Amino acid sequence: MSSLCDCATPPASAPLTAKDFRSTLKPIWCPGCGDYGVVTGIYRALAAIGRPPHEIAFISGIGCSSRIPGYTTAYGFNTLHGRALPIAQGIKMANPELLVLVAGGDGDGFSIGGGHVPHAIRRNPDLTYIVMDNQIYGLTKGQVSPTSARGTKTPSSVYGSMEDPVNPLLYVLAYGAGFVAQAAPADMEGMANIIEEAIRFPGFAFVNIQSPCISFGDPDNQLKLQKAKLRKLSAEGHDPTDRIRAMELAQDYGKTLYTGVFYRNPNPAPTYGSQIEALQKTLSPVADDNVSGS
Amino acid sequence: MNDLIIGMAGSGGDGIVSAGESLISSAAHEGYFAILTKSFGSQIRGGESSCRLRVATTSVLNPGGALDVAVVLNWEDLLRFGGELPVNEATVVIYEEKTGVAPASIPLKCRPTVVLPVPMETMAIKAAGTELAKNNVVLGLLSGWFGLAQESILAGIRKKFARKGEAVLLGNERAFAAGLDYARAHPLDPARPMDAPLSKATKKLLTDGNELCAKAALFAGCKFFGGYPITPATEIMQHLQRDIWKHGGSLLQAEDEIAGVAAAVGASFAGKKSMTATSGPGLSLKTEVLGLASVTELPLVCVNVQRGGPSTGMPTKPEQADLFAAAFSAHGDTVRPILAPISVADMFGITVEAFNIAEQYQTPVIVLSDQEIAQRKEIIDPVDTSKFTLVDRLVPTAEELVNYQRFRITPSGISPLSHPGMKGGNYLAAGIEHNESGAPTASGELHARMNDKRLHKLDPLKKRRDLFVVEGDADAPIGLISWGSVAGVALEAVRAARAEGIKVKLLIPKLVYPVAEDIYRDFFASLRQCLVVEQSHQGQLHRIIRMWVNVPDNFTAMARSGANPIWPSEVVAKIHALAATQLQPTGTP
Repeated sequence: MSSLCDCATPPASAPLTAKDFRSTLKPIWCPGCGDYGVVTGIYRALAAIGRPPHEIAFISGIGCSSRIPGYTTAYGFNTLHGRALPIAQGIKMANPELLVLVAGGDGDGFSIGGGHVPHAIRRNPDLTYIVMDNQIYGLTKGQVSPTSARGTKTPSSVYGSMEDPVNPLLYVLAYGAGFVAQAAPADMEGMANIIEEAIRFPGFAFVNIQSPCISFGDPDNQLKLQKAKLRKLSAEGHDPTDRIRAMELAQDYGKTLYTGVFYRNPNPAPTYGSQIEALQKTLSPVADDNVSGS
Repeated sequence: MNDLIIGMAGSGGDGIVSAGESLISSAAHEGYFAILTKSFGSQIRGGESSCRLRVATTSVLNPGGALDVAVVLNWEDLLRFGGELPVNEATVVIYEEKTGVAPASIPLKCRPTVVLPVPMETMAIKAAGTELAKNNVVLGLLSGWFGLAQESILAGIRKKFARKGEAVLLGNERAFAAGLDYARAHPLDPARPMDAPLSKATKKLLTDGNELCAKAALFAGCKFFGGYPITPATEIMQHLQRDIWKHGGSLLQAEDEIAGVAAAVGASFAGKKSMTATSGPGLSLKTEVLGLASVTELPLVCVNVQRGGPSTGMPTKPEQADLFAAAFSAHGDTVRPILAPISVADMFGITVEAFNIAEQYQTPVIVLSDQEIAQRKEIIDPVDTSKFTLVDRLVPTAEELVNYQRFRITPSGISPLSHPGMKGGNYLAAGIEHNESGAPTASGELHARMNDKRLHKLDPLKKRRDLFVVEGDADAPIGLISWGSVAGVALEAVRAARAEGIKVKLLIPKLVYPVAEDIYRDFFASLRQCLVVEQSHQGQLHRIIRMWVNVPDNFTAMARSGANPIWPSEVVAKIHALAATQLQPTGTP
């Protein structure tokens, strides 16, 4: 895979392995949770990228999935519910050299933090946003979430949800994200490759991962059943540079489990960081504080 | 005269505020000190507007009290600003003759002895062919009657109208001359010439609190700003937007107040000095993120320019009612230092201090400015930047990076802080309670120790006597406490009362929170009466002090809601009343 992005350029030193990114903290996740697969996929992707852990900032919100930075050896920041994206943008602006990963759940990204997503997309910072979408609030024990299907019965929707779900894929496509993909831990290799590709994409990259909740999720949507449902976009003959077709396919969210790259902008827009750098270079540095009257 | 207060009121298009701005820049050029406060109706454009200018030969502490001179282009407009432009018998009232009011029946409660109807509009039309030149007639009148900066004003007019063509420029020059001639032909009795400035030698700085805050932030090494437009704090972001890039920094006008402060916390995590600025409603929104900065022990400066509240309140008016919100709007046991400047000039040092405290103690610091300080124009002495030292956060040494523990419990409570990119410093920052290495914990014992660490590290701040101003008689039985922009009013009042022989002293906390118990206790030692002067309905500082310190028996507040200025004369009257009760027998032997 070609390296499009400065932040993903591997260093010359000894190659890193997935193990180098695994921390000693034991995950709090339930046995059978999809997030175990996601973190493994991230280890593999990061090993393939080759940036050492201390040059990576991994930012998350709040929720089961948002515990994920702690399970890596990168600099982690487990922030507030819904605020991972703005915090990550501040980090990237303050230090453009860093590889910045952002992760969270569907509630974090499309409910409490939903207002931040469009703005991150339109600025186009060079970071990767991974949503572990399980259609449920797991950490608070099973309430209806923004991606739950209409009619979903939970302790907070006893008679069935009366709302249509958010479609995360269509949401980010509509706002103009340059890279939009979906993955599932049932296809580990495919998922690790997609995450790696997202990191290498120069600009805002979004990966929706269907990561089932074993404790409160839909029994028909668990890992074991995922494999049979997977439909790889590459096998469907989808051209990922076709944004309109990507939006058509994305409309099947919740009905068909497509995995792979929905959209990759063949002419990536300038990143926020590159524009900042250009501005800083254009404006000559000042030494004068302009207050001492001299 | 060495101190002159001019108030002007008119309608949009009268150019009243523009006249005030011309006067203050001329005054700065001449070497005077001055404060210009502007006040508008709630319209975006048009409507009534007013300004008050206090010019003096020495440093000006506040906008002053009753007007020495009132310029009235329209009586209704003056009356709308009545509370802000008080007139008394000694005020020289200059008004537009065209308003058709006889000098004996002007619509004021008091009867000023000098009331001068002037045909300003007629003079403007005659000189410049347009009534728009009225404000230059006003400048001519003021310059003529009060000996103000004639050459500088004229130079200002030339600069302003040069690009509008010769005809317009000459018209406005003639309008100014007409005002000047009128004043000379109708001299005041007695004459009231302003004293010459004490020194023209030093160049003065004409600025406002928001501008100086931005400059101070850059001086302090701020490399990131995240914020959202909000009155009356927006100019901080605008000044930084123009300049921060030149310092190698960056700025984000975020999608909302929360994202603004969140990005700033992110930048601090990444190792950069960073800040946000807002006003009341924005502070409410930012509180959760400020709590995150407290628990992750990340330096952050949050400037809150207070305006009238609650909710939207009075966005263009000052108030000191966000102290409770700044001190207490956090869940959990947390303390974040709060600093308050007392003037425009003070904003520089307070902002630098905020960065220093944030970096040294790895904590969010809130600066409570207010609309008055933020937006009034003030002529100040140039800032002596050589007197400031800048503090950077403590970073781990090579030895400390071996088995690095980000939240190590040290004697001072301050732990070396790494940032992404620093090899070996990798750690997990989390809003969740954590152990010394940063791993999440649910241990009550650890939680208590970490709370203790985070609170205890701020203790040295309470010994910072340099963050308090004490003035007056050390053994005085009467004491005043005041903070923020109102402190300048209290200071003037205390000086006036002492000049009359009353024994009184004043304490101004620039560190408003945490409450420095010892410093208050020392101040209270000689007191039989204490008055806290502040601009909030509840008297928020008055109440916060009571939470922490045993106060004297007669510990009262002179507190009123924002947008109702407290005048120095009122505070002096209050001191007189306190002094009078001192003379009464107490009944105890």
